[in-house]
Amino acid sequence: MDALIYAAMSGADRALQAQQVHANNLANLQTPGFRADLELATSRKVPGYGYDARYMNQLQANAVNTRAGTQVETGRELDVAVQGEGYFAVAYGDGEAYTRQGAFVLSENGTLTLNGRAVLGDGGPIVLPPGSQMSIGADGTISVLAEGQTVMQPTDRLKLVNPAAGELSKNSAGLLVLRNGGSLGADPAVQVRGGHLEGSNVSAVEEMVSTMNLSRDFEFQMKLFKSADEMAANGNRLLRE
Amino acid sequence: MNPAMWISKTGVQAQDAKLQAIANNLANVNTVGYKRDRVIFEDLFYSVEQQPGTQLDNNRNSVSGVQLGNGTRMVGTQKLFTTGNLQTTSQSLDVAIVGNGFLQVEQASGEIAYTRAGQLSVNSDGRLVNAQGLPLRPEITVPANATGITIGENGMVSATIAGSTSATELGQLTLANFINPTGLVALGDNLYQQTTASGNPVTGNPGSDGRGKLKQGALEGSNVQVVEEMVDMIGAQRTYEMNTKVLSAADGMMQNLAQAAR
Repeated sequence: MDALIYAAMSGADRALQAQQVHANNLANLQTPGFRADLELATSRKVPGYGYDARYMNQLQANAVNTRAGTQVETGRELDVAVQGEGYFAVAYGDGEAYTRQGAFVLSENGTLTLNGRAVLGDGGPIVLPPGSQMSIGADGTISVLAEGQTVMQPTDRLKLVNPAAGELSKNSAGLLVLRNGGSLGADPAVQVRGGHLEGSNVSAVEEMVSTMNLSRDFEFQMKLFKSADEMAANGNRLLRE
Repeated sequence: MNPAMWISKTGVQAQDAKLQAIANNLANVNTVGYKRDRVIFEDLFYSVEQQPGTQLDNNRNSVSGVQLGNGTRMVGTQKLFTTGNLQTTSQSLDVAIVGNGFLQVEQASGEIAYTRAGQLSVNSDGRLVNAQGLPLRPEITVPANATGITIGENGMVSATIAGSTSATELGQLTLANFINPTGLVALGDNLYQQTTASGNPVTGNPGSDGRGKLKQGALEGSNVQVVEEMVDMIGAQRTYEMNTKVLSAADGMMQNLAQAAR
């Protein structure tokens, strides 16, 4: 069989997988703090008998778009959005992972959590005393008006980190982790805003255009399938006659 | 089959759920003491097809891998306990809680439920009950010949009894506070019930330890912001539409594939 059909197959395969990336981005158009996945393809040489037989296509999809999403005011005291660059740190397994989602919830024992994972502060998970009022300052300081107190007391501070976009990749839970493992120190320059939530940073227009593009792309590969098929059929007929 | 179809399906389903929450919020714009629901989404797990950093040869590591997402997931709904607008009604048995805290009522089952709707009334036995007729806890009985009931900011209920010149104290209303009110389960009828997630109630007099004060002759309206809900609705509707488009694009690709093979 001609090598053409295998090259076309790698193109079709890439289109299918890339479609998955864009479908996932669009499905998360309303997920707070979601970072869009980027998909890129590289060509990979396939060596033949003393010459380069063909170039295959290889998908790479583990980079994230770090553009900021739109911020919405919610008025809830435990909703926080990061201003500009930066991430919140949450406990993940033995280590930590990073996220932009800031809809924190207090558990019954006072631990600050995000979707069930402990939110990290200066010294590990943040535990807040029972109190009536809470506020989160621009530098991530959490102040609580504890029971029996009359003034707000600074209790802990959110761990805010600022890794470069290229260092980040998503883990299987959809949280951001460092590409080479390990953890980051807190960056005092990161600013947050309480009472706000950041939306998803997926651009619907970009995703729709990519989807259209990919589905046409796939169609072309199918045309090549047909051509390869016809060429082989013609070759077979030549032998018969 | 094309995984993009299943991913788009999760997107469509999520927007469906969101629309339901928005519809419920909008339906309760005029419900006294209603707290709006917010649907929380999370990205579903990722399938790591190729781990970044795998050894390619002796001195090269792959700089990137392949991680493909699997769609979106509804983590849950959150009640937002921001304060609603206060409406003055001038009814002596209407109370609004200005700040944190819940009034406690006893359900038919004997369990305590919590509410922020303060449309109180007196039942045939003279007991203070809420709009559904559930008695308040601690129990307060109003004598039949009492006039001019006043409810103080600190929750003290007093009334003038016929024949007496000074006000008589009838009882003390208390408020319950929770460490995590978002964890309360909504029972309907403006009632909430405690769960392990909400923690145990801490009761005390209104105005003490950060509990809200009571305002007689006022009611707390719903905290639904109509404009916000409408904007959310447009967003949900369009997201739904776009996910459907990807669904049909994925379908088109499969159709092409089926036609290519004879």
